[in-house]
Amino acid sequence: MPPAIETTDLVKEYGDLRALQELSLTVEEGEFFGLLGPNGAGKTTFINTLVGLVRKSGGEARVFGHDVEAEYRQARDAIGLAPQEFNVDRFFPIKEVLMHKAGYHGVPEDEAAERADEVLKRVGIYDKRDERFDWLSGGMKRRLLLARALVTDPDLLILDEPTAGVDVQLRHDLWELVTELNEEGTTILLTTHYIEEAERLCDRVAIMNEGRKVTVATPDELKERGTDTISVRLESGVSASAAADLETDLGAYAHEVTTTGDSLEVRVDDGGSTAPQLLNDLEARGHEIADLEITRTSLEEIFVDLTRSDDRTVTRSSASSADGADEADESRPSEREQEGVA
Amino acid sequence: MLSVGFRALFRREVLRFVRRPKNTFMPPAITNVLYFAVFGLILGGRIDQIAGFDYILFIVPGLVVLGAISNAFENASFSIFHGRWNEYIHETLTSPLSYAEMVVAYVAASAVRGLIVGVIIAVVGRLFVPISIEHGLFLVATMVVITALFAGFGIIGGLVARDFDDLTVMNQFILRPLVFFGAVFYSLETFEQSWQIQISLVNPMVYMVDSVRYGLLGHSDLIGVGILPTPYTEFAPLFALGVLTAATVLVLAIDVYLFKIGYGLTD
Repeated sequence: MPPAIETTDLVKEYGDLRALQELSLTVEEGEFFGLLGPNGAGKTTFINTLVGLVRKSGGEARVFGHDVEAEYRQARDAIGLAPQEFNVDRFFPIKEVLMHKAGYHGVPEDEAAERADEVLKRVGIYDKRDERFDWLSGGMKRRLLLARALVTDPDLLILDEPTAGVDVQLRHDLWELVTELNEEGTTILLTTHYIEEAERLCDRVAIMNEGRKVTVATPDELKERGTDTISVRLESGVSASAAADLETDLGAYAHEVTTTGDSLEVRVDDGGSTAPQLLNDLEARGHEIADLEITRTSLEEIFVDLTRSDDRTVTRSSASSADGADEADESRPSEREQEGVA
Repeated sequence: MLSVGFRALFRREVLRFVRRPKNTFMPPAITNVLYFAVFGLILGGRIDQIAGFDYILFIVPGLVVLGAISNAFENASFSIFHGRWNEYIHETLTSPLSYAEMVVAYVAASAVRGLIVGVIIAVVGRLFVPISIEHGLFLVATMVVITALFAGFGIIGGLVARDFDDLTVMNQFILRPLVFFGAVFYSLETFEQSWQIQISLVNPMVYMVDSVRYGLLGHSDLIGVGILPTPYTEFAPLFALGVLTAATVLVLAIDVYLFKIGYGLTD
């Protein structure tokens, strides 16, 4: 089977603004794949390119082997999209909205009605089936977007920040539901700002920034790339000269040593394996240990570290100067976000 | 062409206006009661017969065309623009429907609304004056073609519009003036100067109104003013229908192209 999503050097330009920059990404069939990145990283642009709401400027994009432009009908038929925006037909009761969507995907009317009931029950808003979208609460609207994505029985479910602004209960309900779907074989592409969400749900995550793929890895692999902090409280304070000595003496394994009064913070690759050696070294230098704590690197810290830049939201192709530096423009990000491109 | 997806979109589009008769069918019915009452009964009684018909009967075809094409245009432009404005057109755009299926479904549903309004206006007219249909098949063919043509224009309008005011401008400042100068309320034969007729013939509405008048009343100004040379003069209505059909195909092809390139629809 071809990958669920395969893009090669995908580019999207808005005039001189480059929203996607040679993005190559593969999501295997059956995977639960996360897309992380700050606002303006190009996550939604990437998704919209797959479903036909954004036209690519260059490169290739395939869904289950179907080119998203040349074979758009097959590609779109395989995708169920729950977008960030509430882009739902306001003229009809929500059950009919779902029936229409199923119908567009070739599901006959009777079956579409059955499917609509089924997905409304699954997301927990069946009793609202005769209501219109505008009468639903925020959480119910979010559930409906998921129901609409599911009613076509997609092989690839794309969730664009599905839990943004929802309460804890709904977030957990959605997590449970999408986990079930993934276990049933549906490939899932999830974009989110919640690191915990990606860490908990995703097999692999891609971190994007400025339209580029920064890295792709499992959450555990990512965490291994970070550093741990060993915090040590000493029985007595450390003098300035002793602190300077420690920095030099521990340099073989410590990336950074910070001393404040009787507290010492040492940043190392692996806190668990380094702590015994650190204790030995401190005791050898006459320091008595009162307390010790190891703080593991969070995925969030790694994410922030990977996406940190002076200007994280906008890159202009015209700025691709000889040295490859990106030009900053702080006036445009909000415009693009308002247009739903970001 | 009549795939399940096409039928689903067509059904959705038809249900949207059928379920809101107060917004879609009542206004043209009331407006035309006023037209027939004022222009037909009150003023028409003081106007001599035109082309051998009482004035109130003469204006029936023009009013049918005015209502039918206006509604076909409004329906298509509103449906597309409202869908863009609230972004629910994404439900269609992200579906596996072909671009041709999308366009034909929108156009067909809008043409249906135009046809229904045309029938309503004819029925209203019948309340004021007896009407008999002279060339039924020709009338139906013409109505189908011109409502589809204006539904096709409506698609373009809905894609081009940047706000709701643009839609109003298109209807009020382009469509209606063309229709009113399209021989709805007068005959081309009333013009005494040939240049007046020549200018009128530039207006495509003249051919639509004349074709419907020919289908309904059996009278064609185009035959009278001789737009075709002898011995083909009598074929003027068929010629007009042929040109309108070709124009409709062209406009629908433009619609499909605009959908394909995502004009007004995609980033």
